[in-house]
Amino acid sequence: MGPKLICRHAFGPRIEIERYRFDNGLTLLLVVDDAAPVVSYQTWLAVGSRHEKKGKTGIAHLFEHLMFNETDNLANGELDRKLEQAGAESNAATFLDWTFYLENLPAEALELVIELESDRLQNLVLRDPQVASEREVVANERRQTVDDDIDGTITERLYSSAFTVHGYRWPTIGLMADIQGLTTEDCRSFYASYYAPNNATLVIVGDVEREHLLELLAGAYGSIPAAPVLAEDRRTEPPQTRERRSQLSLPTATHKLAVGYHCPAMADADHPALTLLVEILFGGRASRVHQALVQQAEVASSAGGFVGNFRDPALLDIYLTARPEHDCSSLLRALDEQLEQVCRDAPSESELERGRARVELSSLRALETAAGKAEQIGFCELVLGDPAGLFARLEACAQVSRDDLLRVARRYLQPNARTIVEVSPELDHK
Amino acid sequence: MKVLVESCEALPLVQIVVSFAGGAAHDPPDRGGLASLASRMLRRGCQSMKAEQIEARVDSLGGALSTHASLGSTLLGCEMLSRSAEPLTELLSEVLGRPSFDAEELAKLQRQAEAELISARDDDGLLASRALRRHLFSSHPHSRRLMGSIPSLKAVSRDELLSFHRRHFCRNNALVAVCGDVDHDRALELADRLLSGLPEGEATDYPAAEPEAPLGRNLVIVDKIERSQSKIGVGTLGTHPRDVDHTALMVANTAFGGSFTSRLTNEVRAKRGWSYGASSHLTISRVREAFAMWTAPGADDSAACLSLQLELLQQWRDDGITQDELDFCKSFLRRSFAFEIDTAKKRLGQKLERALLRLPDDYHDGFVKRVGDVTREQANTAIQARIDPNRLWVAVVATEQAIGEHLRQVTDWRGVTVEPFDLE
Repeated sequence: MGPKLICRHAFGPRIEIERYRFDNGLTLLLVVDDAAPVVSYQTWLAVGSRHEKKGKTGIAHLFEHLMFNETDNLANGELDRKLEQAGAESNAATFLDWTFYLENLPAEALELVIELESDRLQNLVLRDPQVASEREVVANERRQTVDDDIDGTITERLYSSAFTVHGYRWPTIGLMADIQGLTTEDCRSFYASYYAPNNATLVIVGDVEREHLLELLAGAYGSIPAAPVLAEDRRTEPPQTRERRSQLSLPTATHKLAVGYHCPAMADADHPALTLLVEILFGGRASRVHQALVQQAEVASSAGGFVGNFRDPALLDIYLTARPEHDCSSLLRALDEQLEQVCRDAPSESELERGRARVELSSLRALETAAGKAEQIGFCELVLGDPAGLFARLEACAQVSRDDLLRVARRYLQPNARTIVEVSPELDHK
Repeated sequence: MKVLVESCEALPLVQIVVSFAGGAAHDPPDRGGLASLASRMLRRGCQSMKAEQIEARVDSLGGALSTHASLGSTLLGCEMLSRSAEPLTELLSEVLGRPSFDAEELAKLQRQAEAELISARDDDGLLASRALRRHLFSSHPHSRRLMGSIPSLKAVSRDELLSFHRRHFCRNNALVAVCGDVDHDRALELADRLLSGLPEGEATDYPAAEPEAPLGRNLVIVDKIERSQSKIGVGTLGTHPRDVDHTALMVANTAFGGSFTSRLTNEVRAKRGWSYGASSHLTISRVREAFAMWTAPGADDSAACLSLQLELLQQWRDDGITQDELDFCKSFLRRSFAFEIDTAKKRLGQKLERALLRLPDDYHDGFVKRVGDVTREQANTAIQARIDPNRLWVAVVATEQAIGEHLRQVTDWRGVTVEPFDLE
């Protein structure tokens, strides 16, 4: 019934993660940390929008909203009320590979949170009125983050163009028609298919008394039966062999360009080198692209590049906004000059050092709070299978050489395998 | 020079922030954005380094530099790996004490800032916020945009930047805050080194007088094409941190729209599904600031949502909050206070806020006790004394042609204004 200690993972020089497993398959990752009288309690589920089917996009996210509603033991709205009364903050997030629920709580509220979280994992009640109301909330969230949002619209188009068969082509928020068509029965089926202890990982970081915590968890979760989890219809994205390009006309005053190159999964050995390459190209104001496009040529007002941190191969995406007197073709020409150069000659040692230092700083900054540590641990467990993956990646970055940078640049920055979204403005900037 | 320190060895990180009194509220009316440009120009060249050399050096040492101008002050901050605290402090010292304010770099920054202002028109939330503050504070300095406007930015000269730097960037006008993996003595050394290149100078006063509440209910529609959703901001004057009823009003606002289970969120989001977010806020500053509530309903629901918001506001004012709501809010605020002080950075942030806004010494440390002492009568009296539902501005970013007429029918407006989204 109770969780059994499996192993310990070093999480940097000062912190240790304890890994436990319940008989029903539930995993617990625990960091006892008494730096402040608070606890972050997170429940990570191995289900995200990648698991959705055509016509049912957005269900993972809608379902995440519904998890805050009624259970066999709680009336609608009572969960949030009890948590706030105890001084706890609750939230949740859904993305391509995962869903997680979090409570940041004063240490004395631990028992309440365990009771509430174990309850909704097994006793959620789904009724038409709540599903209908939450569909409207999500539809408004979509309007806010996609339909009326230029960047959201561009990102959705980029991913839906770059992926043809893999689930990463679905927007996590869901397509509007799909959101509005999701039924209570769809939600019940989703709950039964994915919300099981053997598909969940608890991450608890903070000021807890270990033995007492394990006892409470055994009582709350130990008797929940394991259940079959719906196998993923996992489709490998075929290699892209030709550039894909699409145009959007949007109510904005400036031209915008998004470019996506296929990149490896986060666990791939090339991922740290590609991360550093992107830092060299796009990270901060000393980066090559910022210096060339924003500071020197003044063709862009902003430039950003990001490597996807996902379980499967995803995208290295680049977003550029043109200065008012420039358009997408001048942006792309200037960008291509920089990308061609980095494929021709390896970046310098000082650029590599700069990239490493930026990655180290951003990694440490993510660990300031109990919630920050828990999120890094849960994310790395779900995506890399290693809760201490943050530090393993820092070590991997330390081993990256200039030759590695040149190699990954040539391998992944392939013009014939990229996807481009060009935005032309409907509005006058004057 | 005043130095605030908060040590914590949990991570090998150090943060240093230096703040100089003098911000956007000090900008001459036709030079809006002067303080912002002055802060941003710090990283664009100093005596021994050009802009790109400063950026590369900061990055290589594991630092993240930031500059910012608020209404009352101008800030330079750097978060860094603790092993680099000394060399980065040396660099920041030169950036502060010997900036080049190069004319060519200034022209580049002015063009960059202009492009940023144009790009910002994509952000409907920002457009609503700007319209609300522009009208609510009217001719008061708190109506100003921190970045300035395109014409005012273009008008700023190098001489004006030099003059701003001479006037405000001095030791007697500085407040240094240091936190993280650094003990008290080392923090003081770093602070002293940071300001070593600056003259003693004089402290700057805050120029803003108390703002006046608007007359009647007023509506501004920020017209933008193809909006499937509106951004609605409702604002009036709120609280001053030295008001005797300040804490009581904060507690009352928590019941109204300051928590996820508050009245506003419950009525707008949970019951009707009209908006993803629905909340109300009390801002604090050196003078009385705004009370504002925010929603983002679909275009078809906008008029009904605004009508409901005004009705809830009136009801809150007339009937106050219940004893159950009061007890709930006191419990929420007292217990969640642990998250206001759980990191060194947050504790330092509180010290910095107290110093910058001239808050009472026990503003944060005494918060839990003051909340516990609030009675229902005090909370409800505070609402009636401070919040006037009939003296407010409503800003709505929407497609005027589609829903303007519906918005006009919501209440008996004293005035209705339609503005283009690219007014600023």
